[in-house]
Order: sequence, then structure tokens, then C-alpha cells
Amino acid sequence: MTTYSDLQLDAMRELANIGSGNAATALASMLGREVELSVPRALALPLADAVDAVGPADKTVSSVVLPIFGDINALVLLLFPTEDAATLCGLLGVEAGTEVGDSAIGEIGNILGTSYINALAMMASLAIEPRPPHVVTDMLGAIVATLLAETVGETDSALVLDTGLAVAGVECELSFLLLPTSGGIAELLGRLGVGNA
Amino acid sequence: MGELAVSSEADDELLTIGLGSCIGVAVVDRARSVAGLAHVMLPDAAAAPNAPEGKFADTAIPALIAASEQLGARRVRLEAVMVGGAQMFEVGVGSALDIGARNAVAVRAALAKARIPLRAAETGGRRGRTMRLHVGAMTVTVKEAGGREVELWSAPSGQRWNAEAVSR
Repeated sequence: MTTYSDLQLDAMRELANIGSGNAATALASMLGREVELSVPRALALPLADAVDAVGPADKTVSSVVLPIFGDINALVLLLFPTEDAATLCGLLGVEAGTEVGDSAIGEIGNILGTSYINALAMMASLAIEPRPPHVVTDMLGAIVATLLAETVGETDSALVLDTGLAVAGVECELSFLLLPTSGGIAELLGRLGVGNA
Repeated sequence: MGELAVSSEADDELLTIGLGSCIGVAVVDRARSVAGLAHVMLPDAAAAPNAPEGKFADTAIPALIAASEQLGARRVRLEAVMVGGAQMFEVGVGSALDIGARNAVAVRAALAKARIPLRAAETGGRRGRTMRLHVGAMTVTVKEAGGREVELWSAPSGQRWNAEAVSR
């Protein structure tokens, strides 16, 4: 299994912190409310454990996936508990579970995801761009396992950068995951000046 | 993910929670009440020789057969059920094409190669699934997110192997 030094994991956490900080600012200005940010986790795990580390596999969640292509390939994944996605829709004045609701969640994912990616691109001087978002509501385990199969399936380990955002005053939390491909991890570490080469 | 389990304990349930593009493959020997379940993630192991044995379709099926035989199952009596292989996201999310469909093809091929009959399958679609194999009752149930648990397969009544008759 691939292992990372503390310095490398710290650098990745810092990256996640800046990315999600930027996204939190975007969400706060969109909603006109304060948004709190948790301390990010950088998890380097065997594939089989990565899904469990993200949360209960059978929990139903709403998710937005934003693929990134360019100097690195990765997926940005936003996860909302289904109730919290409904709360968010309420704050935006649209009805959850409808086509408009899904589209609003997708648009929020798009805005937050691109804020996250922009911060990453600036910090690591990367030329990357997002593809259109996909919105899926399903079991957490099925979502994460499917995405890991597509990004790092051929390897035995995953790197997951995980941050939580909470909207002040309401029950609305979401988490941000960055799932780089194996080549993407090496490239990121190199750009941050903590590569293995 | 990538794991594999076998049991001959009637009270046991083998389950995989949240199958997306992954596939749960069950093999059972009803006469010996032996059941096994593997969680297949990708079609073939060519690129990763040291991976967990349940991870790739082409290595998972032989490993599942071997593990079942160790609990007393007879290869000629094994029957299979498969669940999963959904396409949860539109093509183009990751680099690869529809992994779920490729997994389903690879599992069917591996079962055919091992000459194990596939008794029931629920694959494809867009939804994640949880698969449960009840060892004592020899039934397989499937549940989608927010849905009801539905029986996909059970040993046909009246056709249950008689263990004594077989071993005589």
C-alpha cells in the first residue's frame, strides 16, 4: 500500500483547507449566512477501508460529483445528508426532491466545487478545469465505491481529503471530498514541493 | 470492497452494503448448506497481482470456489447469484467507461469458465443495492436505497438436495 509522510499529509490537509475555505465563502455569500468549516482530514487508506472512513455505507445521501481534468485528474464529491439537502433547497426557496430542487443542488455543487478547484489550481499552480456536475441520491457506500473504482480502482489504496461545512443557525451540513487518481496524487505532491522524486 | 467470505452456519448472513458499479457474487451448495459471497470491484486482475482475491472478477470466482470447497462444498453442486453492476453516474465521470456493465460481463464469463450455473441476476440500472445472503434459508435478498428488501432467489421448494441421499 502507498504510504505518505506526515509532511505530505499536512500539505494535502492544507490544500483541502484552502479549497473548502474558498467554497465556504462562496456558500456564505450565496445564502447570506455564516458557514463554519471543520478541520480537514487527509486519509490514506486501503480501498476496502476508504468507504467506511467516509461514513455509514447504507446511509442515503445526496451527492454532486464534479470531474476535474487537466494537469491532474480527480473527482470533487459533495455529500449532503438527504434532510440537509432539503434544508438547503428551503433556504434557496425551491422544493427538494423535484427537478428544480435537484438542479439547485447541482448548481450549488457546481459553484462550491469550482471555488474549491480554483483555490487548488492557484495554490498548486495547476491548469485544471471542471466538467458539468452529476447529481445522484443513493447509498453512500455505492457512490463512494463506484467513484473509487473509477479513480484508483487498479491500485490498492485511496487518498481521500475530507472537510465538513456547516451552515450557521440551521441543520445543514455537507462534506467535501477530493478523490485524485493515483497519478494525480503524485502530481499534486510534486507541485506542493513535497513530492517523492 | 474486494472482500470475500464463506459460511456454513445456518444463523449467518453474508452481506455487501452499497453495491454501485461493484458486483456481489454468491455461490451456494444447498446440499451442504455452504454459502460464499465476494465483492467484486473491477473486471480483471492483470494490472494488480497482489490485490485482495475478491477484488477482480477473474480471481474472485476461483477464490470463492476454493473457499467454499474448504467448508465442504462440492464444486459440481455450486450455483451462483449476482447483484450490482449499476451505472450510477453518466459515462464520463471517471476515466473509464461503464465499469458496472464490464463487471457484469466479466463475472458471467468467470462463472461460465468455472461451469457454475447462474440462477438469478439483478444487474445494471442506475441504483445502488445492498445484497444479503441468508445461509440457513439459502435465499438472496436485495434492497435499493430507500426501498424495500426483495427476495431475488431462493432454493426451489421440493428440489432441495437431500444431504443424506447425496452422501450415500
